[in-house]
Formats: sequence, C-alpha cells, structure tokens
Amino acid sequence: MKFNKLLKKLKLYLDADAEQLQQEDEGLSKVLKKLKKKEQALQSAIEKERDDEERELLEQELNIVHSQRKKGIGLLSEIRKKNGAE
Amino acid sequence: MGNTLRKVLLPSIMLVLAYGFWISPDFKEISAGVAIFLFGMLALEEGFRAFTGGILEKVLRKSTNRMWKSLTFGFTAATVMQSSSLVSVITISFLSVGLIGLFEGLGIVFGANVGTTTGAWLIAGFGLKVKISAYAMPMLVFGVMLIFQKSKSMKGVGYILVGLGFLFLGIHHMKEGFEAFQNSLDLTAYAMEGLAGILVFTLIGIIATIIMQSSHATLVLIITALSVQQLTYDNALALAIGANVGTTITAVLGALSSNVEGKRLALADVLFKVAAGIVFIALMQPIMGFVDIISSLIGLADDDYTMKLAVFHTIFNLAGVIIMVPLINPLIGLVTQLFKSEPDIHAQPKYLNEASLEFGDTALEALRKETARIYERSIDIIAQGLSLDKADILSDTKLKNVIKAHDKAVEFNIDEVYEHEIKSLCSAVLDYTNRLNVDPVTARQVSRIRLANQSILIALKDVKHLQKNMLQYINSDNAHISSEYNILRQRIAKVIRKLESIRSGEVSATSILSLDALKLTLEKNVSLLHERLDVLIRDGHISADMAISLMNDSNYTYSIINSLIQINHNYLKSEEGSETAAEHMIALNREEINSVLTGNDKIADDGKRRV
Repeated sequence: MKFNKLLKKLKLYLDADAEQLQQEDEGLSKVLKKLKKKEQALQSAIEKERDDEERELLEQELNIVHSQRKKGIGLLSEIRKKNGAE
Repeated sequence: MGNTLRKVLLPSIMLVLAYGFWISPDFKEISAGVAIFLFGMLALEEGFRAFTGGILEKVLRKSTNRMWKSLTFGFTAATVMQSSSLVSVITISFLSVGLIGLFEGLGIVFGANVGTTTGAWLIAGFGLKVKISAYAMPMLVFGVMLIFQKSKSMKGVGYILVGLGFLFLGIHHMKEGFEAFQNSLDLTAYAMEGLAGILVFTLIGIIATIIMQSSHATLVLIITALSVQQLTYDNALALAIGANVGTTITAVLGALSSNVEGKRLALADVLFKVAAGIVFIALMQPIMGFVDIISSLIGLADDDYTMKLAVFHTIFNLAGVIIMVPLINPLIGLVTQLFKSEPDIHAQPKYLNEASLEFGDTALEALRKETARIYERSIDIIAQGLSLDKADILSDTKLKNVIKAHDKAVEFNIDEVYEHEIKSLCSAVLDYTNRLNVDPVTARQVSRIRLANQSILIALKDVKHLQKNMLQYINSDNAHISSEYNILRQRIAKVIRKLESIRSGEVSATSILSLDALKLTLEKNVSLLHERLDVLIRDGHISADMAISLMNDSNYTYSIINSLIQINHNYLKSEEGSETAAEHMIALNREEINSVLTGNDKIADDGKRRV
C-alpha cells in the first residue's frame, strides 16, 4: 500500500467527520451511477413509447431524474471540496 | 355447489313463507311480529351506535366495571321495565355495538333475572301488572320525530325509541298470532303427579312463555290457575321453572340480528336458565321445604300458594345467580368456544412478538414487515373503496380499460374494515413502538414507521370521504362528471401501480428518488384539474353542486396520493444505509419539484447551498 493511502486511512481513522464525509461521498457516487443508468433507460423508453400520455409521463420522470442528478453532482462536488480542504 | 345452494335457498324460504301466509293468517301475524321485532333490534343498535364513545359509553362503563355493579344495573333495569327479556335484548344491542363486553353483559342479564322476580311479587301481592307495551305507539311517534332532528344524539335517542317501539309492536303481533293456540291451553287437562308431572309442566311453561312472549303472562296464568285450584302447587312451581327457561326466546330472537358477541350472550342466558332449571327440578322436594321455611319466616300462611310461588320464583333466580356468578368465566369460555368469531387473519399482528422486542434490529424489521402487511391490505381496501379490484390495478392491463371494466359503483363499507382491521393493527404497531428501547438512530427509523402507519390511516379516511360522491357520480347520466370521477379513480390507481413497481424494485434501486416523479405528477394534476374545472363550469357541463363536490374530492384524491407517497417514503426511509442516506440528500423538495414543473430549474445552485 502506498504511503499516501496509508496516511488517508489513518486520517479517516482519527477523524470521525471525515469518515462520515467519505461515506456520503461513496453513497452519492453509487446513487449517481444508478441515476445515470436510469436516465439512459428512460431515454430509450421514451423513444420506444407510442402512447402520447405515457411518453409525457416518462419525459416528466426524465426531467426529475435529470434534476436529481444535477443536485447530486452539486452535493458531491461540495463534499469533495470539503474533504480536500481538511 | 355451495354458491348455487345459497342462491336457491333464499327464494325457496320466501316461497314457503308466502304459502304459509296464504293458508294461515295467524302464521302471517307471528312472522310479521318476528320481522318487526328484528327491525326494532336493528333500530336499537343504530341508536346505541350514536352514543359509542360518548356519555352513554362512559355511564355504562362506570356502572358495569365491577360484577356487583353489573348485577345491580340489570336488577334495577329489569325492576323498572318489568321485563328481564327486554333488558337482555337491550344488553345484546349494547354488546353488538361494543359498548360493553360479554362479562359485563352477563352481569346485567343475571341481575335482570333477579330484578324480574319483583314482578311475581307485584302480581301475587297486588294483582298489579305493568304493561309497558302500551307505550309502543307513542314511542314510535316520538322516536320518528327525533330521527328527523339534526343533532346526532337526538337521532340516537330517536332510533332507540323507535327500536323499543318496534320491539313491543313485534311482541304484540307475535302474541296476537299465538292467541289461537293460547285459548286451547287447558292446564287441568295435563294435571299429573310426581316427576313426570314436573317435567310435563316445565315443558308447558316453556311453550306457554314462548307463545305469550312473556314470563309475566305465564306467571299470571299460573297464579290464576293456582287460586282457582286448577293446578297443584308443585305443578305450578314446575310451570314457573319452564316460564323462566322459555323467556330466553326473546333474547334468542334478538341475537338473530346481532353479531357473534350478542349470540354468545343469548346462548349464555339460555345455558344459565336451563342449568338452573335442571338443578331445581332435581332438588324440587328440598327446595319446596326451603320455600316453606322462608314463607313462614316472613309470615305467609301455609296455604297462601300464590305468595309462596313468588318466594319460589325469587329463590330460583337468586340461587341461580349466586351459583353462576363464580362460574361466569368458564361460561364465557364455553360460549366463546361454541360461537367462534369469524377467523380474521388481518386483525392480529403477524410479526410483532415479544421475542423480537428484545433487539433493536429485529424489532425494526418486525415493524417494517408488519407495516408492509398493513399497507398491502390497505391497498386492497382502497381499491374496493374505489369500486376497483386490487389485482386488476396491479395487472398489466391499461388502467383506462381497468376503469372501464369497473364502471359500476359497488358499495363497500370502509368504516367497518377500518375499525376492525386496520385501526387495531396500526394501534398494535404504535403500542409496539412505545415499548421499544433503542438507540437514537433506530429510534429515528421507528418514528418513520410510525409516520407511515399514520399516513395509512389518513389515506383510508380520505377514501371514505371520496367514496361518498364518487359512488353517486360514476354512474351519473352526466358523462362529464362521471368522466372526471373516473379520472380521479384512475389517478389513484396509477399511483398504486407505480408504487408497487417501485416497492418491488422493478424501476431501479433508487426507490426513494423514484417517488419524486410521482410527486411531480401529483402537483401537475392539480393544476390540470383547475383548468378543466373552469371549462366545465363555463360551458355549463356540470352544475355548481357537482363542481363543489369535484373540487372537494379532488382535494381528497390529492391527500390520498400524498399519503400513499408518504407511506412509501417513510417506509423506505426507515431503512438506513449510506446509499439511502445519499438518496435522501438528493430527493427533491416541493419547491424543487415545482421548479421542474415550471421548467425553471435552479436545483444545482440550491443543492450547493444545502451542503
């Protein structure tokens, strides 16, 4: 294991706040990946959908997922900034 | 097979009855009496229902919370009314609406049995007969007047009066019908000595009381026959025993229309009186000696048989009660065994047990499973409340077609399932959460479970309100209003279907976030309805009344959907983990959802500010 990684582990061990931030980082990253997949799935579903009403609903959902991703990305970058500052 | 039998049974019984009415006017009168009596029971129950949770319940609870209080209550009531069977019938209706329990009910009935003996003293001593049935007609008139009043308690009193009036009227018609048989009852024809005489006269007493619908009437008959020496003294006592057993017929008739608790009480009453009758027949000679002792103690002449009969009647009922009071619990056990309530798989919590209470994690899991179970059942109830079918809502069929297939309003009593199933389950959940002693994190999750259960109750109450107009309008001739109500139904069904796919993990692993899309649809639908409503009113397609109903019901629909989303939101939130925590952070608030709706997305900036 490289020295930097060991140092980071030690820092995490000593600092409970940093550990929480790390957990949030991991959680957000995972959810954002899932949201990206969901966004792609919705896009392809919209292309296939023939019913106008259903398509409109899917588009609404896509907008929501898009906004959620934007919000998630914003939150993640804030966490990373904080992590870097400590 | 069973279904076909059930379909054939009712018309067959009706045909047989119709034939009976045709050939015998007496039979017609007796049957009408039974029908009026049963209708009186229903009205009485309706009346007492108005007082559940109110002052009557408090008074009843306070005056029956101890056995001696129940006995005194029954004794006083029967003394005033001069009828133990009437007290039994009213007690059955108390039981049916849950104002009292079986234990208290039996106390009242036992007390009433002693209270009714005052009648024998009045008849034998003063030749006095209180005839409460004379009040039937005024009761009906005043009762109906009160039913038309607005106040709930006035209506309740009205129904009670009408109920009592019909009870008396029913009994009157039964008596009239039986009069033909009564005239042919010649006691001297059956005069017999020894045990055979006692048994025969007990049976005559039972039959006479059933025919005359009153043990008092039988007592009058016995006392008159005794005074003109048409009857021997021991045969008269046997008749009194029979009268006491026969009087239970009124309670049995009353129990026909009541629930299982009322039936249990009637059965307990019958068992009590039959047992007391058997004991007294077996011990007839020593008891006659005891009656003589008591009679001479109170200064009665040796040949004053009519007063001795009153002494016997009192001893009979008093001894029966003294023997039975300590045995009340085994008696309740017996009648509960004999009359089992319908197995209700939903009313008992399935996962909440003492063992899981010990550990925070298992307790939380038990609570989650129980809540999921209540939710499943609630969805079934909501579907039925909307005149839909849960299986159809959750199928792949287009919802428009599902609504079309269920275009007829179907009555469904949400209140009943709410009271008997969901409310008791939710209170079991609340009770369980109160007994938990867990760390702060688990406590937070438990509180979400509590919130989810609260939302279930709100959703069901709202469906009940929505149901009122909906049942009327989905079958309306006005296509515009029925279409609007079908849209409301479809909207709720759509959310149920979507939530199901989120819950089963079909959509994606980001369950909490999937709820945001539903929230957006909810908000959007509100504004769409307002636009449509304006057009409908402006073009005169719906009346102002319809518009108001629709507006109110659209609010109920909003609240139902919101509660359904909240249930799932809190349920999913009760599952803690780094990913679910992240989902909570990303989930959009109402303002953010509205900005997506208006296309004015400022989320990225807001999100940054929130960290």
